[in-house]
Amino acid sequence: MEAWLDMTLVLVVLLGLFMIGSNRLGAIIQIFGLQSVVLGTIPFLMYFSKIEIHIVIVSLVAMVLKGFLMPYFLFWAIRHVSIRREVSPLIGFGSTLFLSGFLIAGSFILSSRLIFPYPVMSDFIIPASFSTIMMGFLLLISRAKAITQVVGYLVMENGIFLFALLLLEKTPLLVEMGILLDVFVGALVMGIVVNHISDHFEHTDTSHLTVLRD
Amino acid sequence: MNLFLTSWYVLMAASFLMLLSARVKKICGYLFLSSLIFSCLTGLVSAIHVLCFNTPEVFRPHWQFPFGEFYIGIDALSAFFLLLFFVLMLAAGIYGYGYLRDYAGKRSLGAHYCLYHWLSASIMLTLVAKNAVLFLIGWELMTVSAYFLITFYDEKESVRKAGYIYLIATHTGTFCLLAMFLLMGSRAGSMNFDQMMAVPFSPSLVVVLFILALIGFGVKAGFIPLHIWLPHAHPAAPSHISALLSGAVIKIGIYGLIRFILIVKHFPLGCGILLLVIGAVSGVGGVLYALGQHEIKKLLAYHSIENIGIITLGLGMGMMGQAFNQDTVAFIGYAGALLHVFNHAVFKGLLFLSAGSVIRTTHTGEIDHMGGLLKMLPWTGYLFLVGSLSICGLPFFNGFISEWLVYQALLGGVFHFDIHGIIFSCLGVASLALIGGLAAYCFAKAFGAIFLGKNRSKEDCHYKESSFVLCGPMVGLAVICAWIGLFPSMMVSFSLQAAQAIMGITVPLGMEETILDPLLKVTSVLWIAVFIFAILFILKKSLLKTRPVRETETWSCGYAMPSSRMQYTASSFAAPVLRIFRTLLVFQIKTPKPKKHFPAETSLSSSVLDASEYLFFRPILYLIKKLSRKLNWIQSGHTQRYLLYIFFFLLTLLIWKLH
Amino acid sequence: MAQKILAIISLWLHLTFILVSSPFLLGVIGKTKAFFAGKWGPPLFQPYYDIAKLLRKGCVYSTTTTWIFRAAPMIALAAVLVSGFLVPMGGFNAPAQFWGDVILFVYLFALARFFIILAALDTGSSFEGIGASREATFSCLSEVALFLNFTALALISKNLSITGLVGGGVSLPWQIIGPALTLVVISFFLILLCENSRIPVDDPATHLELTMIHEVMVLDHSGVDLAYILYGGAVKLFVLGSFLMAILIPFKTQNIFMDTGIFCSGMTGLAVAIGVIESVMARLRLNRVPYFLISAVIFAVFALIITLVRGGH
Repeated sequence: MEAWLDMTLVLVVLLGLFMIGSNRLGAIIQIFGLQSVVLGTIPFLMYFSKIEIHIVIVSLVAMVLKGFLMPYFLFWAIRHVSIRREVSPLIGFGSTLFLSGFLIAGSFILSSRLIFPYPVMSDFIIPASFSTIMMGFLLLISRAKAITQVVGYLVMENGIFLFALLLLEKTPLLVEMGILLDVFVGALVMGIVVNHISDHFEHTDTSHLTVLRD
Repeated sequence: MNLFLTSWYVLMAASFLMLLSARVKKICGYLFLSSLIFSCLTGLVSAIHVLCFNTPEVFRPHWQFPFGEFYIGIDALSAFFLLLFFVLMLAAGIYGYGYLRDYAGKRSLGAHYCLYHWLSASIMLTLVAKNAVLFLIGWELMTVSAYFLITFYDEKESVRKAGYIYLIATHTGTFCLLAMFLLMGSRAGSMNFDQMMAVPFSPSLVVVLFILALIGFGVKAGFIPLHIWLPHAHPAAPSHISALLSGAVIKIGIYGLIRFILIVKHFPLGCGILLLVIGAVSGVGGVLYALGQHEIKKLLAYHSIENIGIITLGLGMGMMGQAFNQDTVAFIGYAGALLHVFNHAVFKGLLFLSAGSVIRTTHTGEIDHMGGLLKMLPWTGYLFLVGSLSICGLPFFNGFISEWLVYQALLGGVFHFDIHGIIFSCLGVASLALIGGLAAYCFAKAFGAIFLGKNRSKEDCHYKESSFVLCGPMVGLAVICAWIGLFPSMMVSFSLQAAQAIMGITVPLGMEETILDPLLKVTSVLWIAVFIFAILFILKKSLLKTRPVRETETWSCGYAMPSSRMQYTASSFAAPVLRIFRTLLVFQIKTPKPKKHFPAETSLSSSVLDASEYLFFRPILYLIKKLSRKLNWIQSGHTQRYLLYIFFFLLTLLIWKLH
Repeated sequence: MAQKILAIISLWLHLTFILVSSPFLLGVIGKTKAFFAGKWGPPLFQPYYDIAKLLRKGCVYSTTTTWIFRAAPMIALAAVLVSGFLVPMGGFNAPAQFWGDVILFVYLFALARFFIILAALDTGSSFEGIGASREATFSCLSEVALFLNFTALALISKNLSITGLVGGGVSLPWQIIGPALTLVVISFFLILLCENSRIPVDDPATHLELTMIHEVMVLDHSGVDLAYILYGGAVKLFVLGSFLMAILIPFKTQNIFMDTGIFCSGMTGLAVAIGVIESVMARLRLNRVPYFLISAVIFAVFALIITLVRGGH
């Protein structure tokens, strides 16, 4: 099972890379959905021998919410405000790809310094979660469109989710659900904001929000 | 040793005689040629003698002076550098004699020849000096005589400027060297290298010394970002001098660095890593800048920086190997670096000489104005091709062998070092792979734009191939390229000898065979390739015997009026890759915005600016200039006031001393 | 003496195997594409017929060209064929294997490419210049990825000859280091697509010169030269593919015929996979191809990291 767990974790990171490399909003959202679904299977692989209802609920909710609902919602936003379907990068694709390569390496180095109090199922989990968080950040920093901002937040959440899986047995279900709800509401608010930006400015390029400063 | 001294004395004597006989051009020229050939051959024999029998030689005239003694000696390391220097000096000298024949009567060639000998003699002195002061004397003489050689065309503003940049840059380096040798000398109590080797230096002092050495020797060798003089000086100089600059003078920087490593011996790991990173940066940066250049000699100058990068990668692996106590890796690293020093001298010399032959016939250095020269200058063209194949490290030629050794050292590091070592070795592998790919790109561009296709400036031009005096030395260098590429054993064992001198231990038994064995297998595989090529050639010949072979225009996809101006230029050929790396380069494309509908004319120009020159040195120099202007009031022009300054200065000294 | 004769025989066997079977892959790719397009398509052996036909034709040379244009196809084909000697193919062990032959492997491809590019520039046609420039750009990046992959494999197998790199008969530790090997395989596959100018990097079937990469470089070649170039392309695909197979098929049955059979079916599978990709994907916009290759580099880096973490250092 551990070999499969490793593979899945690598796949999660690779999907993050794909998100950074792709230049279509639709593709980014789809890949995000896929990443969430793949993440949803990880709890089963991690706690293969001792599956509890608690674990099943968390993973199913995460899968449905982030894998299907959120992408659907984001697609609706794109259709509704008729955003141009291309990512507008502030930093070029090549540079961000290279940067994410360094970030992956960095997260491996970081996690080798981090001593985790419990035994970990695979030594890839922490690096994978770090690199997913960092790639989410990278998406936030380097892309201009509001939709990519939302996706960036969601990818970061995916990374946090992955880290939280390590503590799944220790944290109550309620906390998990609370986080997921927070994210969902956050995304909803962002969606509404996106809508309003497009109503007022006729585009959703967040770089134009700089005119709002003092 | 006697042979070496003879060669040196002959050079010096000939240089003075040439000054005296400068009026009689014939005699002066013959004197130059005969003394050059004689001293090169005797010097070569002495260097090869040391390398073959591994017997270091010392010559002590018992010339004492405070803190040391002037004496010289040839060990394997010196001999290796002498070997490459004599080869290059011979080729460049003979070429130079032919190259400058047009200027007979217009310029004082006697002075030029004399300075050529001075440069050679000073390089020889630097290479054999066993004393820091003697080393610095040789170093300075080399710098100054090279300055006069670079500014041969001194009527041009740009040449004079290039000369100044060269002089200032190298003197900044010399300043660091002076500080370094003084620190070492004060620690050792003597300026002799042998005494310096005997004392241990404290680790913190080693780091300081290493930084000083990196700056001091790095300016000469052309490490990025200290390389700025190279791309100015190389195009300014006559071609044979560029060849000597690129092949020998900058190598003296590498020699100095190696001599320093040999003297200090024990370095922390960080120094090796630093050297490796400098190598990677110089290599990749050099080749990227080369891609952005469209003046042939400037392009070649940047390629020198690239190759210095490869050499430094090897040296870095050597130092890291020593730090990790992995002698095999260290040996291969040093040997690869040294062999690349030799190879670079040979193929870069060849490239500069053939570039000179192109410039001499076309009277331009701009690649984008050339094209189709292979048909008119077949010798120059094919020799340039040999040089290109060698510099790209492609099989069959010498560049491949030395890059192979550097790869072997890097991959050895991947196997034998700890995790930090492995990370940096992988970095080295990646950068060397990138360097290889980009170098091939750049020389496809250069060779393609200069020699292939049609001429871009004139549709029907007729140039004459250069004379035998120019082609002969080039052929010699090309033969050496192919010889090392196909029969590498002798030069590899020579470079191992020199590496042995650096490490101070003998090569473990059987290691030479383990290094040479894969190389010999490579050459046998290459012979099979030649065999298959021959079969394919015969097959083609026999198939075409009965078939029609026609000659016609190039297919231009149906366009009715193709012109040679429509060919792909070197700038457009290089543009895609420059665009990919534009975050690392200052790559600018300028085109005016169209003003009205159907604009009648427009223009487009692209340029790659040297980041370290434009973003680092120029702002700093600008700042210094601004600050010094503030202090302008000190220089008032009144003699009385200057006397006042002197008085104050003396007074201060007196008070300070009596205090 | 007997050993030498044996070595020569194995060399010739290897050469014949490569020569005979390499165009077949192109045929399979073509058939797969035709299947997806709902057509019957050209016969499986069409590439053989093409090469045979071209070999029987005369040549047309441009007056602009020089000796380089005429020699380049032969040099390229010879270099690529020799690089095949370094790779084991199923039951056929590599006739030449020594420490560091990976370096030679990469540089032989570089040599072939260098001369094809020069030949393209030799014609003086602006279209061929475009193609040459693109080919050179992409190959720079793919070379880096290739070397990083080799380094990762070398770290795994502690060896540096191609045979040893892919296990040398001993299967690679897929159990422990599976993710790294998977990444290497993906990265290598991307390189393979790029080096052989397949979709999504280059479309071998386009008819607009401005968009082509490899095909436009050989516009002016004809007759025997074109046959050599086509053959060279097929051999290149075959050699790179067989390297991929050597990683993917991590076991040996010790039965030469069995091994070769498995190898051949694997290669056919590879060709089908390429055909499927060509049918379902569009080619990338030209300015996005570098990102494709950069991702190959990053996959290789990722594989290296995983190897370093898991390799027991």
